[in-house]
Amino acid sequence: MGDFLFNITDWMRGTFLLDWAFWMQETGFSLFMVENFWNVPLAQAIHILSIAAAFGATLMLVLRINGRAGAGLTIEQVSARFVPWIRWGLLVIVISGMTMIFAEPVRNMINAVFWIKMIVLVLTVLISLRYVGSVRKAALAGGAEWTAGGCAKSTGWLIVVLWCVIMVCGRWIAYVPV
Amino acid sequence: MMYPEPTTIWESIQYSSLGIGIAESLWAFPTIETIHVIALVTVLGTIFVMDLRLLGVASTNYPITSMSKDTLKWTWGGFVVAAITGTLLFISKTSSYMINPFFVGKMILLAIAGLNMAYFHRVTWKTVSQWDTSPVVPTSAKVAGITSLLFWVVIVFFGRAIGFTLGIYDCAMVDPTQDSFVIQMLSGIACNGNAGVPAF
Repeated sequence: MGDFLFNITDWMRGTFLLDWAFWMQETGFSLFMVENFWNVPLAQAIHILSIAAAFGATLMLVLRINGRAGAGLTIEQVSARFVPWIRWGLLVIVISGMTMIFAEPVRNMINAVFWIKMIVLVLTVLISLRYVGSVRKAALAGGAEWTAGGCAKSTGWLIVVLWCVIMVCGRWIAYVPV
Repeated sequence: MMYPEPTTIWESIQYSSLGIGIAESLWAFPTIETIHVIALVTVLGTIFVMDLRLLGVASTNYPITSMSKDTLKWTWGGFVVAAITGTLLFISKTSSYMINPFFVGKMILLAIAGLNMAYFHRVTWKTVSQWDTSPVVPTSAKVAGITSLLFWVVIVFFGRAIGFTLGIYDCAMVDPTQDSFVIQMLSGIACNGNAGVPAF
């Protein structure tokens, strides 16, 4: 696995990604991120806090769809409460994440795990958008008595697992051989 | 690899077979740390949901007892996993953690956050039937909510700061004439009187 990831990373070194990374490294913002010792840890703390907000909100919504939380509340009520927190949380995740990429462009851009993380992230967002949209619609049409089917329940858990995969990748960006 | 004879209780922990095993492994520390992150994000995420309800900011249409029932098992489950994984990380570099002001600070903040939660559940909770379904909660519950939020935000920052400062502080390098009071105090605990004396 380590060899496989290293080979991808090694291949990336020969692509335009390296030029991009070097360009990013020369920007004023990149310099700003590295010239103060606390900028990167602060960005990482904000990144983790926003992940907690979005992940916690996702978990509560998935639990409601699975009938394990939010008893007495409709899917619509629970979605109205938590979906904005997932959206705004994601926005802060992306912004804080970009500041971290600019702080260490080469370590991130020339890193197989980073790009796996990006692909899983985009996949998770797309699946979540479709999933939440269709569950809300079905629940509205089904009325107060509506309960999720097996597919809706397990897709919810799949999204929670995908979030965990993203976090695994996030931590291993720092450890994978580059 | 040979390790020096332990001179403090912290070194005894660090040079135990478990400590050495985690420290020498290529995958153990990152794997345990990854589980720690997923667990702490679960703790934080569910705590935020509860705190925002207590503050009357969100979920005001949902009873507080129900919210507590929904979130608390996840908070505790996540916390147990985070505590176990955190202990394993601690065992692998015990001496470095014990002299790190952010690590010791994080432990103190965790203890205060725990006391805040214990006071809320043992004292404030007694009257919950009176404000369970009300969007307006008593000041004591709001104080518990905002205290919890603030402490956990700082705990996350301290947690990240540990990773960036581990090794900056070292028993062999403590200088009684230069270092701050906090570092000297920590060296008294972490270095067992060996401050300023090279370990080798």
